[in-house]
Amino acid sequence: MAPSRSSRNSLQSVDLRALDYLTSPSANLLCPICHAPLITPVQTRCLHTFCSACISLSLERSLTCPVDRKPLNHDDVTPAPIMIANLVNDLMVLCPNREKGCTTSCARWLVESHVREDCEYATVKCAKEGCDGLVERREADRECVHEEVECAFCEGPVRKLDIELHYGECPKLSSDCRHCSKSFLNPELAAHKLICPDEVIDCAASHFGCSHSSRRSELDEHLTHCHFVALTPILQLHTERIETLELENKAIRQKLDLLVPPRPLPTPLSGTSNSNDSSSLGRDMTSEMQDYTYHLYSEYEQLRSDVERLNAQVRELDVKQDMVRFSEGLRYNEEMAGVRAAINGLRMQLHWLVANRREGVTAGAGAGAARSVAGSSAGGDGRRMSDSARQVVKL
Amino acid sequence: MALPKRIIKETERLVAEPVPGIQAVPHDDNLRYFDVSIHGPAQSPYEGGVFKLELFLPEDYPMTPPKIRFLTKIYHPNIDRLGRICLDVLKANWSPALQIRTILLSIQALLGAPNPDDPLANDVAQRWKEDEPGAIATAREWTQTHAAP
Repeated sequence: MAPSRSSRNSLQSVDLRALDYLTSPSANLLCPICHAPLITPVQTRCLHTFCSACISLSLERSLTCPVDRKPLNHDDVTPAPIMIANLVNDLMVLCPNREKGCTTSCARWLVESHVREDCEYATVKCAKEGCDGLVERREADRECVHEEVECAFCEGPVRKLDIELHYGECPKLSSDCRHCSKSFLNPELAAHKLICPDEVIDCAASHFGCSHSSRRSELDEHLTHCHFVALTPILQLHTERIETLELENKAIRQKLDLLVPPRPLPTPLSGTSNSNDSSSLGRDMTSEMQDYTYHLYSEYEQLRSDVERLNAQVRELDVKQDMVRFSEGLRYNEEMAGVRAAINGLRMQLHWLVANRREGVTAGAGAGAARSVAGSSAGGDGRRMSDSARQVVKL
Repeated sequence: MALPKRIIKETERLVAEPVPGIQAVPHDDNLRYFDVSIHGPAQSPYEGGVFKLELFLPEDYPMTPPKIRFLTKIYHPNIDRLGRICLDVLKANWSPALQIRTILLSIQALLGAPNPDDPLANDVAQRWKEDEPGAIATAREWTQTHAAP
C-alpha cells in the first residue's frame, strides 16, 4: 500500500495565509500587511519585518516602508534572521482539509508535505490508469468510481459515482410522494408535487398576514371565507403604488440633495431662508420652469465639479513639471561639476608637464653650464628628468 | 473570490473590541461593504452628533486604501457636499499597515481638528478662515439638524 500511495502525490495546493493556527500566535510574529504569521520573513533597512510576498506587492505601489514611511527600495529588503523564520515555521497549524474530516495538526513547515503525501482527505488522481477523475486519498485504493456502468433499469450509461443520484431521477424507476405516499414514475413525480392533495401549504394570502395553513384538499374551503384573500386585490394595488412612490421619492431626494444648498451660502442662516426661497419660488413657477431650473442646476453642478477636477489636475501637472525641472537641473549641475573636475585634472596635468619641460630645459642648460664644475651626477639628473618628461609626452 | 483572511480578522476584531465612539458593521450580502457610524468628538462643533458613513474595501485592499464617504450631511472644510473626505491617509499617504480601525480614528480626529488650509469644500474653508465663530456655529447647527442620534 505504501509504495502506491507515495507514487500518488496530491496536487492540492496549500495557501499558507489561509491556515488556522492551533493557538493564536504572538502579535510580534504577525506581518503588518496581511496580519498572518510571517511567511518567508524579510527585513527592511529600517528593521521592520514583513512577508516577502507582502512587501514586494507594497513596493510595487509605493517605494516606502509601510510602517514608518521611510524611503525603501527592493534592494533594501533582505531575509530576516533565521531565528524569526524558525519561530513562525514551528507554529502548529490545523490541516487545511479539516472541514472534510482531517484532525491532523502539525508544525507549519510540515503541512505542505502532509497534504501532498499523507493527508487521507487530500484529493489525488484516481488509481485507474487513463482515468482523469479525482478522489480523496482514503478512497484512492478502491475501484475507480469514474467509469461508466449501465443503469439496471433504463440501461443508460451512468458514472458509478453518480448512481445513487441517478436512481432518484431514472425515468424507469418510481419513487414515493413524501406527502401522500403514493408511488409515481420519476418524470411524473414533479407534476404530482404541484397538485398533491395531502401536502400542507400556506394560505394564498400568507404574505399579507394570514397565518392559516392546511392540506391542499382542504384549503379551498378556507379560501372562501378568508378575509385576507378577499382583500388581496386592493392590498396588492396598494403595495404596488407604495413601491412606485418609494422609487419616485428616492429619485426626487437624490435630485434635492444635489440642489440644496444650490449656491454658496452668503450668511449663516441662509440655509433656512434658502429653503423658504426655493419653496416660494416653486409655488410661483410652472412645473416646466422648475424642470428647466433643475436641469440648469445639475448642469451647473456638473460643470463646477469638472472645473474643480481640472484645477486639481493642472496643479498636479505644475508640481510634476517643477519636479522634473528640478531633477533635470540637479542632473545638469552634477554633470557640470564632473566636467569641471575633469578640466581641473587636465589643467593640473598640463601644468605639471609644462613645469617639467621647463625644468628639464633649465636643468639641461644648467647642467651644460655646470658640467665642468659638477661633473657627471648633474648630467645624470638631467637625463632622468628629460626621460620622464618624454615618457609623459608619449603617454 | 474568497474573502482574504486579513479582512475576516479585522472584521472580527472590530466587532469584538469596538473603538469607543465608532461602529462598523459589515453587510450580510457583501462583507467588503460596511455601515459605519462615528460620534462627533467632545469639545468640537460636531459633539452630540452621530454621523453615518459608508466604507468599501476594494479588491486589492490592503494594497489600496478603503473607499469612505460621509452619508450624513456635515459642515466641514475637508468634507464636500457629496460626503467625500480630504484626508492624506486615504490617498497618497495610505500604507498597507493601516487598518479600518486606524482610518476611522483618523476621520474622528479630523472632525475634532478641521484643516481649512487643505480644503475640499472651498466655500466652507473660506468661511472657516474669515469667520471662524460663524462657521463653527453653522457646523453646530447642521449637526443638530442632520446628525441628531
